[in-house]
Amino acid sequence: MLERLVRDHRVVVCVGSGGVGKTTTAATIALWGALEGRRAVVLTIDPARRLANSLGITALGDEPLQVDPAVLAGAGRPAQGTLAAMMLDQKNAWDRLVARHAPSDEVRERILKNRFYLNLSQNFAGSHEYMAIEQLCLLCESDEYDLIVLDTPPTKRALDFFEAPERIRDFLDRKVVRWFVMPYLSQGWAAAKTLNRTVGFLFRKLEEATGVSALAEVSDFFSAMSGMFDAFTARTDVIHEILRSPSTAFVLVTGPEEQVLTEAEFFSERMQGMEMPLGGVVFNRVHEEMNVDSAAFRGGTVARVDEDEVRAALLDGGVPAAHASWLAANFVDYQLLARGEALRMEQFRGGLPRKLPFVTVPNFDTDLHDPAGLVRMHAYLFGPDTETDAPSARRSGGRRR
Amino acid sequence: MLESLDGRRVLFVVGKGGVGKSTVATALAVSFAERGKGVLLAQMEPSRRLAELLGVTGEREGAVETLPGLHVLTVDGETALSEYLGLVLPVRRVQRMVVESKLYHHFVAAAPGLKELMTIGKIWYEEQLVVKGKPKWDVIVVDAPATGHVLQYLRMPSAAAEAFGPGLVRREAQKVTELLLDPVRTAVCPVTTAEEMPVNETTEMYQQLRERLHMPLGVLFVNRVHTAPLAPADVPAAPAGATALVTDVLRCAHEEAGWAAINRRYLDRLRETVPMPTVVLPFLFAEEFGLDEVRSLIASAEGA
Repeated sequence: MLERLVRDHRVVVCVGSGGVGKTTTAATIALWGALEGRRAVVLTIDPARRLANSLGITALGDEPLQVDPAVLAGAGRPAQGTLAAMMLDQKNAWDRLVARHAPSDEVRERILKNRFYLNLSQNFAGSHEYMAIEQLCLLCESDEYDLIVLDTPPTKRALDFFEAPERIRDFLDRKVVRWFVMPYLSQGWAAAKTLNRTVGFLFRKLEEATGVSALAEVSDFFSAMSGMFDAFTARTDVIHEILRSPSTAFVLVTGPEEQVLTEAEFFSERMQGMEMPLGGVVFNRVHEEMNVDSAAFRGGTVARVDEDEVRAALLDGGVPAAHASWLAANFVDYQLLARGEALRMEQFRGGLPRKLPFVTVPNFDTDLHDPAGLVRMHAYLFGPDTETDAPSARRSGGRRR
Repeated sequence: MLESLDGRRVLFVVGKGGVGKSTVATALAVSFAERGKGVLLAQMEPSRRLAELLGVTGEREGAVETLPGLHVLTVDGETALSEYLGLVLPVRRVQRMVVESKLYHHFVAAAPGLKELMTIGKIWYEEQLVVKGKPKWDVIVVDAPATGHVLQYLRMPSAAAEAFGPGLVRREAQKVTELLLDPVRTAVCPVTTAEEMPVNETTEMYQQLRERLHMPLGVLFVNRVHTAPLAPADVPAAPAGATALVTDVLRCAHEEAGWAAINRRYLDRLRETVPMPTVVLPFLFAEEFGLDEVRSLIASAEGA
């Protein structure tokens, strides 16, 4: 269970590929923290409108907004702490970063209007990721929260996320910047081409192939930014420290589907390599494999050929005949699916450290978009002692209710 | 429904992460190939999933034939750009010098949208290829990156045509833009599941595609749709003294009915917010999802 994990850490980072319920999991963890008395904040990346609405917030912004205690009460038990939520606005975050570090208003305006900057702040690979981490940094530095839950961008190449700070730093490498900036500042753009034979030559070739304006803009951007590089580098070090601090934990959220687990495997290997090992795994939307009485089925487990028997058992048990065939077929479908999932999850676990906590959340028959719904997930994430909706003891021979 | 895509030369399959976009793109490509067409499946991000499904192993350059008539190609902006420079910088040594310089890498990272432009440009280039007087590919299926990214890609050529000074890039960008906007050759096919977040994203993307990009639309694929003959409330309760098996069967039925109801609700919403020809693909119950499942997916689409 994730109880200890969340209790013992100040920062919980939810990672994983897109569409696996990362945002919901992040919100669920933060809500649990609030109910347990923490001052919690959840930073989401997805435009999770419905989640925001369900927390009584009309629109999440890039400032943390406190969730109304009355809404928290909808969770079914009194909250000892507080919950705030915020959403990353990438463009805005970049602009504020520039504003914070720019030495003068003039430089700030020059950067903000630069076409290359506009592109960088919105499109540069890793830019979104970098900003999420930058926001995490700000939240960590403020004393207002003692549980910070971060929902990372749903990127397929999710690792971009953690490499982003280094990438941005390399990108702003001073030596290269000098090539762009110095000639431009000293004698204007045209001089760059004659100043240094090699660089000039390269510029000329690239210009011929692409058109001039882009390069001039790039150069202008770098010259405007040149005073800010030290600040960026220092920031990168702080971020590096936060991500590797003992008070930061990474929780991998994944689904049991093949494609998702393939990504997750790759992801966890790389995290290990980057010295940011996983602290826990959440398998979300798992179909439950029932502990059927193996003696009742020919092959020892439910198979397609057993549909008729299941149907007969239903009729015997007093279930109305209408739809009995569908009920039986659906059951077999679910069991086949569940078995495939169980095997894949087992295999996936085999590649992880043995003591790593992992939890399984079932594929609820409703989508979870309000505090009460999130609390339903608590039972699975934080142990059976939390609420009434206790999970069955999967694979341990116990039977639900 | 899929016949409406016949004759189009380039299909962009787009959608939010996790909705099965690569699976649908693969299914489309396989179905075209099995009907005797020469198909290029172009992925804009290397996907392990696709590699597993089609048995592509190792890193190979260029298009790799994985099934009869089906080639897979990973299109990468940087590679495409060096290829392109190969065309415009005829001297090998010069070309190498440019491409290997650190400045070049920064330039590529920095020049607004150049990589995106080159990626789309590469697809345009493949579309133009002619072998023995016939187009090399009958159809190109593009497994596009996740939504936010793909809009940047599709927006790029026209933006570049405006942004770059007169030169080769602008000329290229104009040609690429023509392809993207051509309703005869091109179609964008969004993929979604019938759930809250994917439907919201698909709705926004649809508006962007129509109103801002003016791109020709193909078919909307709604993937992983559950169906049940019963509403959740109509699933019988377990009779008194029911066996564990009976209870479990009813629980599974309740889950399926629940998802069927959710999917139905969002399908209704999609009909209003994304009024496009729609193909509903069923949720497939299978222990493993392999090429057979891909085929059965497309079979159900063709029956639709």
